[in-house]
Amino acid sequence: MWQQVEQSLHSSMGLVMNKIATMLPGILAFIVAFLFFLLLGWLVSWIVSRILSGLRFDERMGRGANAMAEFSPRATPSLLIGRIVFWCFVIAGVVVGVSALGTSEQIVSGWMLAYVPRVVGAAILLLAGNVLARFVSRSVLITGVNLNLSYARLLSMGVRWMILVLTGAMVLDHLALGSEIVELGFGILFGGIVFALSLAVGLGSRDLVSRSLEREAARPAEVVPPEKIHHF
Amino acid sequence: MAAVEFTEETKQQVERIGSADVVVGIAGAVSPEELRPRAERILQELGSAVSSLRFVFAWPGKAPASPPGESAADNPALALLPFSPPPQAEVWAGVSANQRAVLGLAASLNARVCIVLGSDLAALDARAIQLFAYAVLDRQCGLAMPVYLAARYDGLLNSGILSPLSRALYGRRIRYPLAFDFAASGALCGALSRSNLAAENAGNALLWPVTVASTQNAQVQVGQVHIDVHHKVATEGLELSAVLGQLVGSLFHEMDVCASHWQRIRGSQATPVWGNAGEGSDDAQPIDPQSMLDTFLLGSRNLDEVWRLILPPNSLLELRRLTRRAPDQFRLPDGLWASIVYDFALAWRLRTLSRGHLLGALTPLYLGWAASWVREVSSLSNADAEQRLEQLARAWEEKKPYLLSRWRWPDRFNP
Repeated sequence: MWQQVEQSLHSSMGLVMNKIATMLPGILAFIVAFLFFLLLGWLVSWIVSRILSGLRFDERMGRGANAMAEFSPRATPSLLIGRIVFWCFVIAGVVVGVSALGTSEQIVSGWMLAYVPRVVGAAILLLAGNVLARFVSRSVLITGVNLNLSYARLLSMGVRWMILVLTGAMVLDHLALGSEIVELGFGILFGGIVFALSLAVGLGSRDLVSRSLEREAARPAEVVPPEKIHHF
Repeated sequence: MAAVEFTEETKQQVERIGSADVVVGIAGAVSPEELRPRAERILQELGSAVSSLRFVFAWPGKAPASPPGESAADNPALALLPFSPPPQAEVWAGVSANQRAVLGLAASLNARVCIVLGSDLAALDARAIQLFAYAVLDRQCGLAMPVYLAARYDGLLNSGILSPLSRALYGRRIRYPLAFDFAASGALCGALSRSNLAAENAGNALLWPVTVASTQNAQVQVGQVHIDVHHKVATEGLELSAVLGQLVGSLFHEMDVCASHWQRIRGSQATPVWGNAGEGSDDAQPIDPQSMLDTFLLGSRNLDEVWRLILPPNSLLELRRLTRRAPDQFRLPDGLWASIVYDFALAWRLRTLSRGHLLGALTPLYLGWAASWVREVSSLSNADAEQRLEQLARAWEEKKPYLLSRWRWPDRFNP
């Protein structure tokens, strides 16, 4: 019996070692391809940045650059293009590496290759959603404070989480992970928020709203006193 | 360097007029029917003092009933020159665009002096014209800026940021660095008309005459003239944060562009002032600045995460201490206020965060300063309030080494 166990262990070890030995060239090829494209990407992005700065690309972009700087303050157009070029090469390196791996493991590489565009798209969505959430929430916060709204922070946080939740749902949908659950959950969540707000205003604050509207309708035209302080 | 573009019609009119001694330009649309008689009356009032000078009155708009460029029948020393207004984006930028156009016309006409006036024509009187012309023609000033007769709560943005910052940077003690009215010598007109036209957002760039005069040539003499004028600024529909963003943002932009120049300047030099200062009324009613203070306190409760990106810890600590004071004890020290604005200027340069957000986050701090200022000067006479302004400006100068250190070594310098 022990001999059979030993034989079985030997054969399974042999199989695993064989599998690793089969995959090793693929893994090595993946690393080499990835490093090669990483270096190439760095070199090409550096050349592109130099060419663009030589052409005074940022200055020529003018208003477009200003609009972009509003969202990403430290990024200039040439820097952004340089980074895009670099990451394109990195992605190409991953794809080439995975297909090199795929020569040894067709099933894994086929599945991964098909999924790479989705992952890239989801990563871009996540990044854009985060940047947008940060920018919009900060805009709401600063504008709210300058308008003297005591609930400025609450408003800003609400906007931030709405964008983040929307982004999360879009990312999951893009990754095709539980798409129906996500759609349903998102619909229920948003619908629930709107419904709760409607109930809060319609039932909880009904008297307050009607009194406010009546007061507004009955109020005579207000004479604004002249400002005594002039900022400009 | 780019120059102001004029239509063919305007160029032909300039050629027809040929040359002028004094160009009086209005930086905004006016009615020629109103302008012409006032211009003639001014020349009559000035009389023999200007009899040898040829005047051209320029304004953005259409020609009057009589042919443009043609001298008025009863006064050969006067010509009218309408020009097409440059495309305008925002309120203040529109004024600057018109000012540049007027200066460009003066340069084309080889004028000895160009006097730029606001479109409400408040400064279009013989005394103001005479003072501006005197400063440039007789006293050889390259630039003559106005000193308005302002009440103590007027132009707080100018008193709190624009004037002391401009003075600390460029070393000229100018009360109103961004004025509706000023005069420039013929030699400076070209440079002023071309300033900022090559900038990336030229359409919205404001004209800062003192900055241009200082950076063009340190030897240019800058003078000031007292004019008893109170401009009517249409403030309806304008939000403080938007105006602050435009004016202070433009000054920060100038700071960035002229960094190599202002870093060499230490202290400030007095500027000669001509004309008699009018007597402002001392009976200004005390004003309760509580609403401004409330905005500051709201900002300090909510904008901490934004201010932390811009201000060093000791400034934040001092601001936090201020928020704990009783409203009647609230005073924002001059040095702290100066260093706060300097830190914002640095963050503007480094793009620490979006520039729109940056200037929006400055508004509650400015209102805090305004509340402190209003409370402080409400018990002072007009003369004492002016003295207090001088003290504030000196504090900004004393804090300039801090700005220099942070500007040169933003990462290394840790206050």
